[in-house]
Amino acid sequence: MSIGEDIIFEYLHMEIVNVVAGREGIHNKDLIVSKLEKMGHRVGQGMIDRFTKDSPRFKDELDIMKFICKDFWTAVFKKQVDNLRTNHQGVYVLLDKKFRLLTHLSSEKEYVEIAPKFIAFSCGLIRGALSNFGLISIVTADVNSLPECRFQVQIHR
Amino acid sequence: MSRQSGRSNDPRKVSGELLTLTYGALVAQLVKDSESDDEVNKQLDKMGYNIGIRLIEDFLARSSIGKCKDLRETAEIISKNGFKMFLNITPIVANWNQSGDEFSLIIDNNPLTEFAELPDEHKSLSYCNILCGVVRGALEMVQLEVETKIVQDQLKGDNVTELKVKYIRKIEEAAPAGDD
Amino acid sequence: MAVCVAVISKENSPLFIKTNSNENELNFHFTVHTSLDVVEEKISPGAGANKNNDTRELYLGLLYPTEDYRVYGYVTNTKIKFVIVVESSNTTLRDNEIRSMFRKLHSAYVDMVCNPFYEPGQTINSKSFDTIVKSMMIQEM
Repeated sequence: MSIGEDIIFEYLHMEIVNVVAGREGIHNKDLIVSKLEKMGHRVGQGMIDRFTKDSPRFKDELDIMKFICKDFWTAVFKKQVDNLRTNHQGVYVLLDKKFRLLTHLSSEKEYVEIAPKFIAFSCGLIRGALSNFGLISIVTADVNSLPECRFQVQIHR
Repeated sequence: MSRQSGRSNDPRKVSGELLTLTYGALVAQLVKDSESDDEVNKQLDKMGYNIGIRLIEDFLARSSIGKCKDLRETAEIISKNGFKMFLNITPIVANWNQSGDEFSLIIDNNPLTEFAELPDEHKSLSYCNILCGVVRGALEMVQLEVETKIVQDQLKGDNVTELKVKYIRKIEEAAPAGDD
Repeated sequence: MAVCVAVISKENSPLFIKTNSNENELNFHFTVHTSLDVVEEKISPGAGANKNNDTRELYLGLLYPTEDYRVYGYVTNTKIKFVIVVESSNTTLRDNEIRSMFRKLHSAYVDMVCNPFYEPGQTINSKSFDTIVKSMMIQEM
């Protein structure tokens, strides 16, 4: 049985998406996404400060990415990333076949239309986490079939 | 070298921190986007209401609690079951009025406010106002109309946070969901 | 205990400096600033021979001693630097106590940074953080 706080978090996330979308207006998609992304960014920063407090120093970028895909992902999204691929030049592709914040969406909906606002917070969360490690990145995601989500992280060097 | 060694292994703690930080990011964003603290308070209450009317289903499904016989029993269940299940705290039920239709939930260690320090210019912000909405929304789904209000707030220097619940009436027919 | 406690940002700008006396304040600013070079050296990937680097500890130990002071350093995984200065005459302070002071400072920093109204990278003016630092600077009897 899931933890009570997790249920609240999921409802809160859903409600945040609705409120931001409601305030900014349906036609202002970019602004909605950027607001949600910004909130996620701040949460990601804070999580990393808390989460790495007792960890030994990280060795390099790959060490950090592995940590994000395993420990961090498990803590925040309740499972590990299913697949991590990299071109060894700063691009990482993270595949989550059952992404936590998409599991509540029904697949009959026009999910390609609405998916961006449900993953914006998470993209920000990952970007915020990496930025706190000193890695500047662009994080994008695409959803082809629910609840699978593919994140692409591009790290600036 | 394993990272496991140094990390906090308590998943409930991590889940709580994610919730606390997310809620904080929301409040900070609303404060930036709003004209007044009062507008933020109202928005938080409304969000809480929307969460409360859905959360009650999860609560009833997970707790297998039946009908409450009176308000006193309801109050105890909100604290010992509801708050315990979702925030891992058990507020003290206190401050009943004489007619027995008003009580308070006294919260000493509110996880939502754990890291927050109110800026001086936002002294009328009711930071954890979402709780008012959640309680109100959840009770409405079990046919109890109540008014809820934060009357003491640890973020403003009070010793505890106090959420006052006032019974208004019994709702005869199931109210339609949604506040908008 | 400590005569100066400093928190330095990722970009090496001071976020917080507290000293036990106003007279020496400028001096301490200088000391802290100088110590950052030693910190950078200790955590740079090239410094393979360095013992602290091998164990990847956040605590960097003694950065350097001056005539009157000993300067200790600590770097979080998020590249925030903590510097604690103690008087050389204070011989009762052991390495373990310095370590635990840094751990306490780190915990306080993490809680402070999670305040939603604080923007990371800004000067720290949290009252509770200040109180904790003050408690680390109270003179021993």
